[in-house]
Amino acid sequence: MIKAVSNIVRWLVYGLVVLVLNFPVIATLITSLKSDGEITTNPSLWIVDPTLANYTAIFEMADRFDIMHFLWNSLVASVIGAALSIMLAFPAAYAMVRFGTARGWLLPLVVNLRAIPLIIFAIPIYLMYQQVNLLDTQLGLALILCLVNVPLVLVLLATSIADLPLEVEESARVDGANTYWLLLYIVAPMSLNVIAASTVLAFIYSWNEFLFGLMLTTSEATPISVGASFFFAASGGGVRWGVAAAVMMLATLPPLLLGLFMYRQIGKSMTAGAVKG
Amino acid sequence: MQHKTRKDGRILISPLVLFLAALLGFPLLVDLIYSLSDVGFENITAPKLSGFGNYAKAISDPEFWQAMWFSLRFGLIAAVLEVTLGLALAIYLSPLLNKRPWLIAFLMLPMMVAPALVGLMYRLILHEFVGPVPYYLLEWFNDFPAFLNHANAFKTLVTIEVLQWTPFALLILYTAYASIPQDILEAASLDGAQGWRRFLAIELPMIAPALGVTFFIRFIDSFRVFDNIYTLVGSGAGGATTSMSIYIYQAFFKVGNIGLAVAASMLLLLASFLVLLLINKLTQRETVA
Repeated sequence: MIKAVSNIVRWLVYGLVVLVLNFPVIATLITSLKSDGEITTNPSLWIVDPTLANYTAIFEMADRFDIMHFLWNSLVASVIGAALSIMLAFPAAYAMVRFGTARGWLLPLVVNLRAIPLIIFAIPIYLMYQQVNLLDTQLGLALILCLVNVPLVLVLLATSIADLPLEVEESARVDGANTYWLLLYIVAPMSLNVIAASTVLAFIYSWNEFLFGLMLTTSEATPISVGASFFFAASGGGVRWGVAAAVMMLATLPPLLLGLFMYRQIGKSMTAGAVKG
Repeated sequence: MQHKTRKDGRILISPLVLFLAALLGFPLLVDLIYSLSDVGFENITAPKLSGFGNYAKAISDPEFWQAMWFSLRFGLIAAVLEVTLGLALAIYLSPLLNKRPWLIAFLMLPMMVAPALVGLMYRLILHEFVGPVPYYLLEWFNDFPAFLNHANAFKTLVTIEVLQWTPFALLILYTAYASIPQDILEAASLDGAQGWRRFLAIELPMIAPALGVTFFIRFIDSFRVFDNIYTLVGSGAGGATTSMSIYIYQAFFKVGNIGLAVAASMLLLLASFLVLLLINKLTQRETVA
């Protein structure tokens, strides 16, 4: 009996914690489903007259603020940023773990990079981008997103490669395989799970990155994390809160869905990244 | 063979090394040179070395120290609250999470939202006319505080940060807690260690390393806070919300003072090194003990 009651209390606490922690998203979702008129008269969490008008209104302002353009920029930069960080980190992780190459300095350097506020490098990178015409380009943003993600990705890949059995590689070596063949046809397939999980996490972090998006883009390559705030000033007079809320929902939907469906892989990566870093 | 793998190894790490040299090494060099120079947008490629003037300017700027103090306090308080709350929730909810692992997905969701968007969302949520929080406070208590004024902005921002990142502490600490071997707990129970005693004597020491790591990760992350503060208040509240990152951003983009901005960057780097040194020392002691 006592056990049953304490179990119910636990469920209630769980529900309450979920609601409180996710309150920003829940409140924004609710607002996005209210009409402009209802938002000003009824700020409560109850929707009297649900409508999708805000979501269609977003696209009517596409001539001034094109949300598809922002989303596309985020998608392109995040995919390139995540993929590039894997391509750079995977061979390096292998060399460090199996050959001990640069293990003494490169790994600590990259791992400690996570603890350094990246704003330190932001100003020189901005000035450098100006010189080489990378300002306000998807590629320029993607390179920085790669830089942001490389430390975590390297730690995750190095840890998982260290756990792979050596026997397979050794017998392939005896059969005459060279390092590159090994990496591509043996180690990469065996690491597919970790590569996938790292890519997803890197993609989410890239999608959510804001500082460099703000500094390095102006209009052409603006990512959604930055572009979302434009809608707060969209209508000259007051803020159209419903539209702003709908934009925020669309902006946060991709990482939210990834988080919901891949929570297990993401959780594992976050834990491994924390403990091994 | 040895010789061959060494060469292969060098080739395999070279893309990463070149990338880091271009986007990290070179900027650092520029930081160093500019911080010691008289530089503006007009002589950006030909800075004139001028000694430590920029550093002196940064160090004698009260706003620099205010920002440093803000970041330190923000990072420490947020990290302490997140670890405490995260640990309490991890332990209390562990019977549920053990049986139904998918329940943790909804607890992890806040981490999936961009901090910049969270800041924007609170602009709506805390808004005096359309925000649900002031609405309900008015309904229930007939009053609501000015969340973002000079006196309250810090508390509001810490709360927002803690609500978004307690899930990180919860996730790491739950994982650590769940991996305590069951037989140790059973043996402790047989010896009469129950409840608080078992927690303090056995469970807490076993998850202490995870507690330390979580604390440091959250401290470092909150110390460099930028996104949610910038989108929610900008530099408002009379400088009461200027973190170190925001200070440097403003020195560069708003004031256009490149020298001051890069000198502040170098000082921030120095501070980060000191923190890292401290962390490495503490964690080493932990593994020895």
